[in-house]
Amino acid sequence: MNFDFTTEDRALFEAVRQAAAGREGLPELLPALAYTGYLNPELSGTTLMGAMEALASLDPALFLGVEMSARLLGRALARWGSPAQRARWGAPLAQGTWIGALALSEQGMNVDNEPLATQARREGDGVRLEGAKSYVVNAPVADWIGVVGRLEDRPALFMVARDAPGLTVEAALRTLGTDGLPIAGLTLAAVRLPAAQVVLLTDDHLEVLRLWENQVLIAAALGMQAAALAQARDYAKAHRTGGRPIIAYQEVGFKLAEMLTLHQTSQLYAYRAAWAADRNAKEAQGLTWCAKVFCTEAAERVAGEALRILGGAGYQSGGAAEQAYRSAKYPQIAGTSTEIARVKIGDEALGYLN
Amino acid sequence: MDFGFTREQLMFKKEVIRFARKEIVPRVQEHDLRGEFDVASFRKLGEFGILGLHFPESLGGGGADVVTTVLAGEALGEAGVDGGLTLAYGAHSFLCADTIFRHGTEDQRRCYIPKLASGEWIGCMGLSEPDAGSDVASMRTTAERRGDTYVLNGTKMWITNGPIADVAVVYAKTDPAQQHAGISAFIVEKGTPGFSAGPPLLKMGVRTSKTSELIFRDCVLPAANLLGKEGEGFLYAMQTVEWDRSALLAPFVGVTTYLLKKCSDYAKGRVQFGKPIGRFQAIKHKLADIRIFGEAARALVYRIAWCKDQGRPLNHLEAAVAKLFVGDWSLAVTNDAVTLHGGYGYTHEFDVERIFRDTRLAPIGGGTSEIQKMIISRLM
Ligand SMILES: Cc1cc2nc3c(=O)[nH]c(=O)nc-3n(C[C@H](O)[C@H](O)[C@H](O)COP(=O)(O)OP(=O)(O)OC[C@H]3O[C@@H](n4cnc5c(N)ncnc54)[C@H](O)[C@@H]3O)c2cc1C
Ligand SMILES: Cc1cc2nc3c(=O)[nH]c(=O)nc-3n(C[C@H](O)[C@H](O)[C@H](O)COP(=O)(O)OP(=O)(O)OC[C@H]3O[C@@H](n4cnc5c(N)ncnc54)[C@H](O)[C@@H]3O)c2cc1C
Repeated sequence: MNFDFTTEDRALFEAVRQAAAGREGLPELLPALAYTGYLNPELSGTTLMGAMEALASLDPALFLGVEMSARLLGRALARWGSPAQRARWGAPLAQGTWIGALALSEQGMNVDNEPLATQARREGDGVRLEGAKSYVVNAPVADWIGVVGRLEDRPALFMVARDAPGLTVEAALRTLGTDGLPIAGLTLAAVRLPAAQVVLLTDDHLEVLRLWENQVLIAAALGMQAAALAQARDYAKAHRTGGRPIIAYQEVGFKLAEMLTLHQTSQLYAYRAAWAADRNAKEAQGLTWCAKVFCTEAAERVAGEALRILGGAGYQSGGAAEQAYRSAKYPQIAGTSTEIARVKIGDEALGYLN
Repeated sequence: MDFGFTREQLMFKKEVIRFARKEIVPRVQEHDLRGEFDVASFRKLGEFGILGLHFPESLGGGGADVVTTVLAGEALGEAGVDGGLTLAYGAHSFLCADTIFRHGTEDQRRCYIPKLASGEWIGCMGLSEPDAGSDVASMRTTAERRGDTYVLNGTKMWITNGPIADVAVVYAKTDPAQQHAGISAFIVEKGTPGFSAGPPLLKMGVRTSKTSELIFRDCVLPAANLLGKEGEGFLYAMQTVEWDRSALLAPFVGVTTYLLKKCSDYAKGRVQFGKPIGRFQAIKHKLADIRIFGEAARALVYRIAWCKDQGRPLNHLEAAVAKLFVGDWSLAVTNDAVTLHGGYGYTHEFDVERIFRDTRLAPIGGGTSEIQKMIISRLM
């Protein structure tokens, strides 16, 4: 057992914070992060979770943009691509020279992971891809979009260039939170791709992708909590009424105590699930669902309580707590949704999960 | 970071579960119903080596580290041992025996630890008073120095193992003019003139642990019964918090695993509307919440234990976080477990009802949730 991060871990977290400070867009941020080693596809476990938390605490929206590009798509290619595919896409994504997007989920969740509707057929030397994806982070700004679909009943990752004929990226959606994060639906109508742009996957790979996505969303929730908690705590210590800082009043101080408890519990949850993912993927899946439900619900609560403590100051647009409050729905809905996750955790306990 | 246990630790946990299921659990419900302390089970805990697990072997202990000791507590909960017996064990081994071990003289250690480790003697700890619970520094029990003796006067309240204890660690003011700095600790044996225990209190839960007042009326103790130094008693009491937030919380973690299994089994067998209720999402939701709580609590509790094994001073913020979380969140989970069992859950037929009552102590005993929030907000 060991509940400490290593010195190297901490150095990485600090480097990530410094690289991200003041950098606002992905084109600027990604190469700076690559320099720290943060985008390295080999990064995993608690080191990765701690590093993701560090970045997410600064800006959850920007963090999600980074992760969908370099982590989800980049790591998928690094792990499962051919040497040529790794060189063509994996490396530029890990270096932060290209922006990527991963289009996995489709309209309508399901508990049983029904086959994806996005389908390709072999045609000549390549494939022809048809389908639609609803909410794809980075789609409006990506150089490459990794579309997950099926090729002859086998899951596959199709690398589609942003300007590929037949690909339509819809206008960026206006969303409740995650300000600045470009999200759009896309349709694929007879998109023709050479075989070199197809990465064949297995159903296990899809499970791993979902696990990674959940890990990213957990880290985003930690970031939202940290930002909201810090703003509320600092305000409660500085802002005075009746001659005392408001943290001295139990209605405020006890709320902060509950928020901190949720935050620390979430952190340990996230680290433990990430640790498990490096050791036993099957066991990690259940623990990751648990962590995701807990951390993302806690994010909404922490942000909501923060707004009460901040009073009118928190209700103004632009504050960390206000942004976290609006963004906190995102990680609950995306990935394995809170509802689906609870059903699956229950199924696991009942032995109904195959 | 590493959240894993060693192979030996996991094997030991399995052994404890097997032992408890066979030797203790079959009698739990009956003792709870009658509100009786199960002295035979308590002694078996001693024989198995649990009561003295963390003490040195030279004093009759098991020489185990803190994580292993906490694991034993989790195992008891997971096996289905009731909260009364685990509380009796906690008060005995950690609040009483460990305080003697930590602050006692060599003579005091040799006199008491082997008997407490084996379960031959039962120990208790008297800190709270009728008018001093959360605000314990305002206690009124006094210990007046007279020559080679101390004379104790006052009443302690809600003392676990009070009516059955052979030895008590008692906190009293040697300097009533002071708050914390006026408190000292004493070892008081059963039968000491002027010392008596009140009748057992009737309680909603943890009914197999006996709780009572400890009454001191001109109770004369040899000066040698002072534990540690005069004026340091409050410090000693606070040092038990490390155990309170690890070993005493551990059974709640184990109970969650027990509940998850119980509830899943029930949900698979109980058929309504033509299918097992486990097929309904609302039931899965409850099972999920039980697991989600348990996994969270586990990490918090072992963090305290691991830090103690590293020899670090207690992080009071982390300790309060663990206590607050387990205390407040365990209620919803045990409540759900009763609901999941429907009408049967409300009867004594199924032990979820007892677990619900036992768990109700979690946000009260050893420092209420409000006190934890006070500590956390002050440390923020
Ligand atoms: C902002 C945002 C960004 C996203 N980014 C990406 C991305 O970059 N890449 C990507 O691949 N995907 C992304 N997603 C998609 C996401 O992962 C989900 O697939 C999608 O939001 C869920 O589909 P839906 O909105 O149609 O919800 P629905 O499936 O219609 O669900 C509606 C509600 O019903 C519940 N529900 C549905 N079915 C069940 C059931 N069987 N049992 C119990 N409850 C059920 C759901 O939990 C939810 O509460 C994103 C989503 C959002 C909102
Ligand atoms: C079954 C059982 C076993 C026990 N075993 C032992 C034992 O072995 N040894 C021992 O010494 N003690 C023992 N106790 C006592 C226990 O530690 C106390 O009950 C506990 O510390 C609370 O004290 P109290 O009951 O006096 O409540 P009070 O302090 O009177 O509190 C009443 C309520 O007021 C709240 N409150 C108090 N102060 C504040 C504040 N400043 N701000 C906000 N809210 C506040 C509390 O949280 C609580 O909700 C036991 C208690 C029980 C029920």
